[in-house]
Amino acid sequence: MSDNSETAIFMQYIRNFCIIAHIDHGKSTLADRLLETTGTITSRDLIVNQVLDDMALEQERGITIKLHAIQMKYQHTDGHEYTLNLIDTPGHVDFTYEVSRSLNACEGAILVVDATQGVEAQTISNLYLAVEAGLEIIPVVNKVDLASAMVDTVSQGIVDLLGCELSDIIPASAKSGIGIQEILAAVVERVPPPQGDSTAPLQALIFDSVFDPYRGAIVYLRVVAGTLKEGDRIMFMNNGKVFEAEEAGVLLMKKRRTGALTAGDVGYMIAGVKDVADTNVGDTITHADRPAAEPLPGYKVVKPMVFSGLYPTASEQYEELRDALAKLKLNDSSILYEPETSVALGFGFRCGFLGLLHMEIVQERLEREFNQTIINTVPNVEYVVVAKESLNRLVIDNPSLMPELGKIDHIEEPFITAQIITPAEYLGSIMKLCMDRRGVYMNTTYIDPTRADVHYEMPLSEIIFDFYDKLKSISRGYASLDYDFKEYRESDLVKLDILLNGEPVDALSSIVHRGKSYDWGRRLCSKLKTLIPRQMFEVVIQAAIGNKVIARDVVKAMRKNVIAKCYGGDISRKRKLLEKQKEGKKRMKQVGNVEIPQEAFLAVLSMEQ
Amino acid sequence: MPGLYVHVPFCETKCVYCDFYSVEGMDREAAFLTRCVEEIDRRGDALQAKETFTSVFFGGGTPSLLRAEQLGALLSALRRNFTVAEDAETTVECNPGTVTRGKLEDYRALGVNRLSFGVQSFHDDDLRFLSRIHTAREAEDGIALAREAGFENVNLDLMFSLPGQTPARWLHNLERARALGTTHLSCYSLTVEKGTPLAVMVERGEVRTASEDSDAQLYELTMDTLASWGFAQYEVSNYALEGYACRHNLTYWRHEDYLGFGPSAHSTWKRRRSWNVSSIRAWAEQIAAGGDAFSGGEDLTDAMLRAEHISLRLRSEGIRRSVFQKMFGSDIVDDNPALLRQCEASGLLEISDDFVRLTRKGMLVCEEICLGLT
Repeated sequence: MSDNSETAIFMQYIRNFCIIAHIDHGKSTLADRLLETTGTITSRDLIVNQVLDDMALEQERGITIKLHAIQMKYQHTDGHEYTLNLIDTPGHVDFTYEVSRSLNACEGAILVVDATQGVEAQTISNLYLAVEAGLEIIPVVNKVDLASAMVDTVSQGIVDLLGCELSDIIPASAKSGIGIQEILAAVVERVPPPQGDSTAPLQALIFDSVFDPYRGAIVYLRVVAGTLKEGDRIMFMNNGKVFEAEEAGVLLMKKRRTGALTAGDVGYMIAGVKDVADTNVGDTITHADRPAAEPLPGYKVVKPMVFSGLYPTASEQYEELRDALAKLKLNDSSILYEPETSVALGFGFRCGFLGLLHMEIVQERLEREFNQTIINTVPNVEYVVVAKESLNRLVIDNPSLMPELGKIDHIEEPFITAQIITPAEYLGSIMKLCMDRRGVYMNTTYIDPTRADVHYEMPLSEIIFDFYDKLKSISRGYASLDYDFKEYRESDLVKLDILLNGEPVDALSSIVHRGKSYDWGRRLCSKLKTLIPRQMFEVVIQAAIGNKVIARDVVKAMRKNVIAKCYGGDISRKRKLLEKQKEGKKRMKQVGNVEIPQEAFLAVLSMEQ
Repeated sequence: MPGLYVHVPFCETKCVYCDFYSVEGMDREAAFLTRCVEEIDRRGDALQAKETFTSVFFGGGTPSLLRAEQLGALLSALRRNFTVAEDAETTVECNPGTVTRGKLEDYRALGVNRLSFGVQSFHDDDLRFLSRIHTAREAEDGIALAREAGFENVNLDLMFSLPGQTPARWLHNLERARALGTTHLSCYSLTVEKGTPLAVMVERGEVRTASEDSDAQLYELTMDTLASWGFAQYEVSNYALEGYACRHNLTYWRHEDYLGFGPSAHSTWKRRRSWNVSSIRAWAEQIAAGGDAFSGGEDLTDAMLRAEHISLRLRSEGIRRSVFQKMFGSDIVDDNPALLRQCEASGLLEISDDFVRLTRKGMLVCEEICLGLT
């Protein structure tokens, strides 16, 4: 492909790779060890924590949410120094598309499998993405020094999966430093160097972007063809917007400005882009004056799968919440939000998220980084309501917008293909769980004699609640899940309303399958009963479909709340206590004469199945 | 009209549930008396109060540990610095284990006309649990001595919702109190106060407090039983035969002014509330140094006064709409029409032309209604 010999020589000493691993299988530890061994960082830097996870949230969850990249210099035994670019990938089903873009920035992938756990669905799904992207796979069995390691079984599983030789697998322990040199050598020897013509029209793949309040978007990219220089007029091919490249460089522990990036390089670019939404992952950067004929393949607009209402606890904080969301979106363009109004909660926003985890992350970031106290309503998927007669298709992302029953011809909901990998002994319980969640069985294959790979088609709405937790609990943590959107299908769905003392609370409405609605309503009422505190007056909780009440529960009126003693020395203290309690009440939403605590709006999520 | 309070901070032993300031033993008795007289004199000079005080209350601690001449010295100090009404209600809190007939007769001679006995229970096992220094028998004897000494106006403090207390056991206490001819009863639901040994016992799971339902049941039993015996409930925890309501405590609940002396005592005087330091040593040092012994205070704003007025009035005689209107410029009913009417409809409140008053049922949820109104 390359006819530029100088670039080809440079490129010969570059390797771009990533690490594919399931959560907790040791990806971060391995990354740290590679950085340490190549002298990119000292072991003292590592004491703080694993380097690739720099968001506090990521560290707590053990999940790499945002992508990063880092460059290392490695002195190989052949006497040459190699530039190794490690590109990090997220490890959760919510972020499959981002993973696929990161993989496209690499030529190779280290597949890390925990010797005590074996291959998991997440790993397989990312592995398939890597194979699809034409990556060279270096299989590594990690944690071989643990007593519970099953190196032979796990290695055999990898051989069956990859069709590789047993001898291709590197036994390692990132923690103890076993196999690290072998892995680095394999990256150089087995991963092909990048190819590409540095004189061709520019094509650079965006695999991530973050927002810097002073510099605007910092775009992380892989140059596939051509050369990007500071001062160049560049264009984002997806939206045609043109900017001037102010700064370009490579990524070490910090950014290092190099002035230019050529085919094969991984690095960053700053171009005064004020809105990260302009720097979409998967988009191609080219020169405005000499554009590439085609963008790089595989770009897609990420669509939110899960929707939920976000409301300020105190209505006067609406503006603050709006500003916080706007700032958050600067960093995370996958969040969608638009204003909405709820009878129960007042002014707020309907937000779209990539998945439930993404929703939780956004909620936590709003609370921690932006100091917002918010009420999060029950998440739901996007439904298509087909109207009678006109057969118009109406897309609904909020149950309270559902038209009257009489006007509906039918309702469609999103289905996904779920892939579950589990030790065979849990297969029966897992299949039962999938059936309970309206799953349609597709097939089962065996990765090895003890591990099954099951496929189901399921409504997405059945996955977003507690499916993953259930799956983990019935398989003692061994089963893993991955899913992909399949299509919209007609389902027998109804809108279930919750009434408190006869008043419908729109924010508590949900769309459920008719066959499950009675059970759902009953459980929701009984959950709400435990979440709504006793108040001065009795609270009657009802679940209803249309005008028909299908379940009922009662929170009895408070029996006693009176301070026994109040004399001269108690008056100030009592007044202050009252003030404090009033503050506490502000965290509740008043609907009619009922005070509803924040947690109640997410009752569905904590419902006993 | 205003009242005077003296905090006598000594106890033989501290009770597990009590969070009032006191020290065990009488080591600092002499210093206390000297400094307390000094404090009264100094405040008298500073305030030059023209008002007539209609009550004097010796609380504690255990004021009945004081000998008559000691109590007399404090009373004289109060009378020479403030205008104390001829017929002022003058109360001494007594621990039944600390009184003799002679002492009570001497108290009487000093002008003390009301005694308040901390009895808590007529069951010895309850008394041991509460770490009281007296037995049930001694409590009965103490009250008999009060009668013999000529006291007619006698209050008993009793406590309900003790761990494991049945309605029958509680009723027995009320019956004993009635049989002893008491004119006033304070019946408190056991409250676990922070920092007390009881709080630690509860925290450790050694003591189980009563459930909300059982607490409410005993409270209702108290209200109903005492009402049937002619005791009018004039505050959340206080009941009196006609003419025996405690004048001094009504000062607090009517949101009137009071002056307090001794460690930890509070005063409210002309929209200023201040409180003495809760340490006999620090208090005595500050007084000896020639100043006051306040450790804190606040000027009461209209909003604070309003909140206090509602909360104090609601738990006692009720909010007088005309008085409220005059003080705060609005009608309490107009301020919260929905809540008040709903409470009225549910039988929690009585609303008349001039009063908003809790019903028996409303007393149970007094704080909840306060929260809604303030």
